[in-house]
Amino acid sequence: MRVAATTLVAAREVREAARSRWFVLTAACFLVLSLALSLLGLAGARRAGLAGFDRTTASVLNLMLVFVPLVTLSLGGLGIAGELEDQSLSMLLAQPVTRAEVYAGKYVGLLAAVWAAILAGFGATGIVVGTTAGGDVRAFCGVVALALLLAAATLAVGTLLSVALRARARVVGAAFAVWLLLVYVSDLGTIGLAVARSLAPGQVFVLALLNPVQQARVLGTLALTDRLDVLGPVGMFGLDRFGAAGLVAVLGAALLALAVVPLAAGYALFRKMVVP
Amino acid sequence: MIEALDLRLAIDGRPILDGVSFHVARGESVALVGANGSGKTSILRCLLGLVPFAGRAVIDGHDVVGEPVAARARLGYVPQKAAFGDVRAGEALRFAARLRGAGAGGIPGLLQLVGLAAHAEARVRTFSGGMQQRLALAVALLGDPPLLLLDEPSAGLDQEGQELLVGIVARLRTGRRTLLLASHRREEVGALTDRVLRVDGGRLVPGAERCAQVIALEKRRGGRS
Repeated sequence: MRVAATTLVAAREVREAARSRWFVLTAACFLVLSLALSLLGLAGARRAGLAGFDRTTASVLNLMLVFVPLVTLSLGGLGIAGELEDQSLSMLLAQPVTRAEVYAGKYVGLLAAVWAAILAGFGATGIVVGTTAGGDVRAFCGVVALALLLAAATLAVGTLLSVALRARARVVGAAFAVWLLLVYVSDLGTIGLAVARSLAPGQVFVLALLNPVQQARVLGTLALTDRLDVLGPVGMFGLDRFGAAGLVAVLGAALLALAVVPLAAGYALFRKMVVP
Repeated sequence: MIEALDLRLAIDGRPILDGVSFHVARGESVALVGANGSGKTSILRCLLGLVPFAGRAVIDGHDVVGEPVAARARLGYVPQKAAFGDVRAGEALRFAARLRGAGAGGIPGLLQLVGLAAHAEARVRTFSGGMQQRLALAVALLGDPPLLLLDEPSAGLDQEGQELLVGIVARLRTGRRTLLLASHRREEVGALTDRVLRVDGGRLVPGAERCAQVIALEKRRGGRS
């Protein structure tokens, strides 16, 4: 795979994402909500005597867990399916470029665009909080890094949906369903399954490892506190079993795996795809 | 220049091509003719590596599957319906030029050639169908590839658009440039090609290879092609 060709495709993706109204709108919403949360958090923190970064990080963590999968699943989903539908993919693949370069370039370009939006949102928040209050900067930076990793994982899932379903309408529906599943339904499903099947804590932990949002939630909470009642059952089990550093390593590795596995599965489909 | 050996293609279990073999020499202009759905476009898609096929396709000595970059660097492609996404014409050309390692120096000349010099910074989505096809031709000519693959390039264009596009391609015919055109328009085939391969049901029709000028003559006399 040639780096120059991959970079060219990636740069084109960044430009197209910047022109996408949906992407610009969600990135702007993330920026505005991050700033609003940090300002509200600061106002509350002053009254409660809390440090600024801690409170803001907790607020932005929850925002990030909802927004990042929403943006990346839809953006990744539309990436290849959109070009397949308008037939611009065949013109791209008719150029002297390999499918691996196109696939990697599209993923890297979209990821760069999402990362830029995340860093803009968190950066603005960091500047506001950093200049007006103190607190644990490391925890804040940890959550930023976590948002970038979560974006990589959920964008990979979106890309897999795009290659597997191949049509805009199907991909948008599936991306929304997966978002609901990861962000809201998964927790309820895991609890229901645990109760109905009397699952052991270890089994519940393994189920949680399949959901990147759940992993990010535990990792983000762990960056803020190691209080067991805040971490929830998955975090409690993991902390008890692996210790704090071990739990970070296990969940971080699982999150990375959830970026690599869907991406590889998507490429396996894309390599053999019939391009109209 | 083009060597197609026993091309076989099935999509979702449905056979599309069934053992297509042909050879196009350097400098030749050849037409693939046949009814809609006969397999003309699928042959081009095999040569471009856009579909997973059985058999072997070689472009200027480079296997389409084994050396896709080298093979596609030697050809330019104009599809039936060009699509560029939400970009400006110049941007689409600069992107393709960089992918082809062609440099941007030739872009103004190509825009001039296809009659789009005044539209370099216009958004492609505002272009008419004919303008988009001419832009696709400019993209295909970046780096001056020795082979042009044209897939019904004037389909869907009005008479004026068809004549304009065919006129430009006709001027591009030189001794060293090879042309493979998929079309069912006899005027286009007669104007642009020297030899015709008839495709029917995913196969080349044996003995149906004819001089394109004969087809054009038949057309003028009202005969069947």
